[in-house]
Amino acid sequence: MTALAPTTAADTRHPSATPRLTRWLLRLHRPALYVWAGLVIVLSAALLWLGGPLTDAAGAAWEQYNACGEAPTCVYDQPSIIRYKDVYSVTTFAVLTAPFLVAAWAGATLTSRELETGTAQLTWTQSVSPVRWLTVRLAAPAALVAAGTGLLVALHHLAWSAGEGRIRTAKSWSDFPTFYAGGIVTVALALLGLVVGVLVGLLWHRSLPALATSVAATAGAFTLVNLALPHLWPSVTRVTTRTQGAPSGGGLTVEQGILTSTGARLPDPYCGGDVFPDCRATYDGLDAVGYYHDYHPLSHYWPLQLTATALTLAIGALLVFAAFRVLRSRTGGAPRRGRTTAV
Amino acid sequence: MTSSAIEATGLAKTFRRRGGWALRDCTFQLPAGRVCALVGPNGAGKSTLLALAAGLIAPSEGSVTVLGGHPAHVRPRVGFVSQDKPLHPQLTVAETLRMGADLNPDSWDAATAERVVAGGELDLGARVRSLSGGQRTRVALALALAKRPELLLLDEPMAALDPLARHELMGTLMATAAQYGTTIVMSSHVMAELEDSCDHLLLIGDGRVRLSGDTDDLLAAHALITGPARGAAAPADFDLAPHTTVESRVTGRQVTALVRPEGPLPAGWQTRELSLEDLVLAHLRNPAAPPLTLGALPASASPQEATSASAMSQETTA
Repeated sequence: MTALAPTTAADTRHPSATPRLTRWLLRLHRPALYVWAGLVIVLSAALLWLGGPLTDAAGAAWEQYNACGEAPTCVYDQPSIIRYKDVYSVTTFAVLTAPFLVAAWAGATLTSRELETGTAQLTWTQSVSPVRWLTVRLAAPAALVAAGTGLLVALHHLAWSAGEGRIRTAKSWSDFPTFYAGGIVTVALALLGLVVGVLVGLLWHRSLPALATSVAATAGAFTLVNLALPHLWPSVTRVTTRTQGAPSGGGLTVEQGILTSTGARLPDPYCGGDVFPDCRATYDGLDAVGYYHDYHPLSHYWPLQLTATALTLAIGALLVFAAFRVLRSRTGGAPRRGRTTAV
Repeated sequence: MTSSAIEATGLAKTFRRRGGWALRDCTFQLPAGRVCALVGPNGAGKSTLLALAAGLIAPSEGSVTVLGGHPAHVRPRVGFVSQDKPLHPQLTVAETLRMGADLNPDSWDAATAERVVAGGELDLGARVRSLSGGQRTRVALALALAKRPELLLLDEPMAALDPLARHELMGTLMATAAQYGTTIVMSSHVMAELEDSCDHLLLIGDGRVRLSGDTDDLLAAHALITGPARGAAAPADFDLAPHTTVESRVTGRQVTALVRPEGPLPAGWQTRELSLEDLVLAHLRNPAAPPLTLGALPASASPQEATSASAMSQETTA
């Protein structure tokens, strides 16, 4: 009875063509592709309308309003201003939903449903390795998501900047929705949503729970990035005396409070300022000599956007790594071949 | 030299969610070019074994070599049809076949795919979701056969088919397999479905290999014998040593036993015709019967299997 040596006829077929997986991924998710394309087109059109005609009309209305000066009655195109505000709010909100839409779709369909119904395994028993299957499921949607979201945030940024200095009620750069909807960090968040959906799908294999988990996890990641945001770049400190009052306005606040004569920082009791005798007594009791305000000025816009994007992408990269690890532990992966195949 | 289609050594798989062993310490060797029946009760580990061989899941212990390589390296040369025949419901039959061609760029044989599908009066433009169970099976088989695999793994391929469709598809399957010299491993718990077409048997029960070998050799290694009960009421009262008893039953004054003879049978016992189904059923009813592996074993067989193999060599020399 002789033991059989492993046969060496294993590599008689030389792989010449690579399986065309992307084409079929797009075919299988055609409805989602159409919805995404439709969403991007409609939203882009709305943002162009907002940045062009709506901004012009609202800007003209504000000029009329400013021309009135102190006059008791003023005739100006108020509906234009309101329409600008409404469309701005709606489009900003819509751009911000992109990461969650992507996470919901990816969680519900991209990996979970295929593993649930066994079509993933069907693909793996064609001439497609699980690693390649997952790579295509990450890469192709990532390209489409990045392109779509990238276009939307760029148009939002343009629409927002068109109103700068012309529309008095235009949002500040540090306004939470404005910062994200018009910033590159949202592109990274949408990609993160995709990766989260793919990973959760690999772990759960069930469409509906994976959808909910993906959206929740993306919201969690969004919150995390937003909490980290003020600390991603060194802030600027402004100090004012008690008579000057608490510093107001300007940029993204990191921290604020009162300063004592020794330079110690204390939380502001917010009692109203020196004009109130009670408050004066409180400040005296605390040995307060002034106020401090750590904040990010407008010049920190790009450093903040880029560091937040880098942070988000770093989290995404970790999750991609985790996804491949999960897949590998499930399918066993492919060990390095003993000998290389000549092509 | 015969090459082997599948070699398993100490193969084991546990599923964390279910707990317990789905498959444990499986060592066997399946020669290439065979049509192998993979038999066992529900939950025996048949599907797990096939999924391991197809490179869909990773073993918890041991290893499996398929066509001389790691399962992950031989995907283009192995076909697999799983029990629930997953297909993309939104694609049409024609699209499904085109997808097969795109995903198997080196080996796709469109003529085979069309031939397998043509037998079922299938509308190529019909969506997969609208197909009947039999039609789905046909499309799944077409996908697996048209990649011209050297090894075809089929998990209960004919379940939920009516007898006519079953017969007809089995014919298509065997003809195509014969044309390419494909090795087939087919699981089922319906023995009749496999008896005519299989020449190799792998019986697993409770996650372990119970019987493995050429069907003729396995049948030759067993004897179904009848003899007088001589007053004994329970099978336990019989001692047929040195023969290994798989199963014995007392009916009236007669005893029927399935044994693995270790030499000439005792006088007064009659040998009866033994079918593969009898053999399988006797082993399924008696989980305590010692496992038997005939034929070559993988190089690094575990001691337990080596013992049963040496027991066999004693039998053949006796």
